[in-house]
Amino acid sequence: MIARREQQLTYLLLGVFSLIALVPVAGIVVTALQARGSAAGFGVPDGFNLENFATAWEEGNFADYLRSSVIVTVSVVALSTLLSILAGYAFGMMRFRGATVLFYLMLLGLMVPLEATIVPLYYDLRDLSLTDTYWALILPQVGASVAFGTFWMRAFFRSVPRSLVEAARLDGSSSWTTLWRVVLPLGRPAVLTMVALIFMWTWNEFLLALVMVSDEGLRTAPLGLAFFQGRNTTDYALLAAGSVIVATPVVVLYVFLQRHFIRGMLAGAVKG
Amino acid sequence: MAAVTFRNVEKRFGSVEAVRDFSLEIADGSFMVLVGPSGSGKTTALRMLAGLEAVGAGTIAIGERVVNDVSPRERDVAMVFQDYALYPQMSVRDNFAFGLRRRKLARDVIERRVRRAADALELGELLDRRPRELSGGQQQRVALGRALVREPQVFLMDEPLSNLDAKLRVQTRGEIRRLQQEIETTTVYVTHDQVEAMTMGDRIAVMNAGRLEQVGTPEELYERPANLFVAAFIGSPAMSLVPVAGLPLELPGADAGAVLGVRPEHARLWEDGEGLLGPLEGEVAYVEALGRETFLGVDSGPRTRFVVSVAGRSPIRPGERVRFGLVADGLRLFAAASGRALGPLAGRR
Repeated sequence: MIARREQQLTYLLLGVFSLIALVPVAGIVVTALQARGSAAGFGVPDGFNLENFATAWEEGNFADYLRSSVIVTVSVVALSTLLSILAGYAFGMMRFRGATVLFYLMLLGLMVPLEATIVPLYYDLRDLSLTDTYWALILPQVGASVAFGTFWMRAFFRSVPRSLVEAARLDGSSSWTTLWRVVLPLGRPAVLTMVALIFMWTWNEFLLALVMVSDEGLRTAPLGLAFFQGRNTTDYALLAAGSVIVATPVVVLYVFLQRHFIRGMLAGAVKG
Repeated sequence: MAAVTFRNVEKRFGSVEAVRDFSLEIADGSFMVLVGPSGSGKTTALRMLAGLEAVGAGTIAIGERVVNDVSPRERDVAMVFQDYALYPQMSVRDNFAFGLRRRKLARDVIERRVRRAADALELGELLDRRPRELSGGQQQRVALGRALVREPQVFLMDEPLSNLDAKLRVQTRGEIRRLQQEIETTTVYVTHDQVEAMTMGDRIAVMNAGRLEQVGTPEELYERPANLFVAAFIGSPAMSLVPVAGLPLELPGADAGAVLGVRPEHARLWEDGEGLLGPLEGEVAYVEALGRETFLGVDSGPRTRFVVSVAGRSPIRPGERVRFGLVADGLRLFAAASGRALGPLAGRR
């Protein structure tokens, strides 16, 4: 009896929290489907209008913004995943002088917020003539992501049984082969989780894009959305459609990776 | 195939001396068991031989070649790990072939060796399975097979049977021994189980607290333990070790400070006392009936417990008093202070 009550209570609580999380999202989707100029918010939808998306796409220039976002995000995710795997492998499995100090130095990258460094970063990149290029968006975000990624992958590599690596060494496998053939195939959940997180953070990054890029053609989707909002302050249906367009890629990726995502999170939780 | 030589090998981990002044010769093609309690340094010695730990001092040679600075993959040794360490994402076939591919062997050679190992271990049907789809015993055989296909100079085995249930362990014990005798590859086998050591080893090296206590054939260790540690460690039930002082026995050549060592089979109930030293008397503390024989733990005084063996079942119960005697030929004397063996009773072999 108690168990059943407890279960009901659990479902109730989970239900309430799901609602709290979902209502705003549902609100935006519903708004985006309403006819332009009709009452905004959570009213009863007055129909199923897809033309808002088409209009927003056209007027908001989202094709360009999304292209920039894809270029930046894919580059950042690819580069930081590769670097994080290599650095995590070194920190997690190899013994070398200064490993601890270097690792804490990397963690610093996790702790210092972008807001604290963005001004000097701007001047540095300007001196290198990199502002107003994709590099100004890619390089700093690779730096930030590698700090997290190294931390994350190190935890994974630490959780791999040592004997597995030793067996590979005795079998004649180099460190390189051991990483790619023996150890990393076990880390798919960890890697995919990391990919999803870095993708999300990079896709949604706003401040960096705002500061580093003034060329319209280089604007990323969140930035584009902000400008779009500035131009259409009262047309809620159109704004909502723009938001949905910008958010969709992350949601789609999440749905694809969520099975691994949860498993990776749990592995991280148990094995530290 | 090759002999293995440890010469004055030392290893420390921080302030812990894991292996001290360890010297051991392992003949080409022989089966050497390193046995000892946990923390005795046996696994560390094996890992140094594998190249997984650096040698602190001294030298380790495989054949003529000193391997102290040779990387594990160039030592041409294969190891069976306690947890098997199978590559989980690879099929049994790929587990076998992984090491051979790293050594750039021809495809048909690899295929042939994998086949042969699979046949020898009856794994032919399972070649396309992944490790997690196998039972514990099958995984263990895959671990053996992965070492076998390598055809290395030396096999290293680190407690390979400790994750198996008792019955499978006995069976696999015989199987490993048979395989080794067939292919005659030098094998170093680490275990904490003295029964495994006694049944498998051509020779056994008993280790304790980082030191080598004694090396010899199973018979030598059993019949002539070099010191109290080996006497107590080898044999099940263990040798009874009793201070000579206070025993109502004439023991020629034994001074008062000596310790008497008696194997259970050399302590028998008195009956008519023929051929026995004694009689001794004591109270039965416990009865261990194994069916074929029964062991009685008999206290004949403080700190003097003898294990007495009785053929078949025994009607004797704990708490009863019994008289028993000792077989003079089987007795061993040890110096109490140093623990060193003093040999058999004077005038005996």
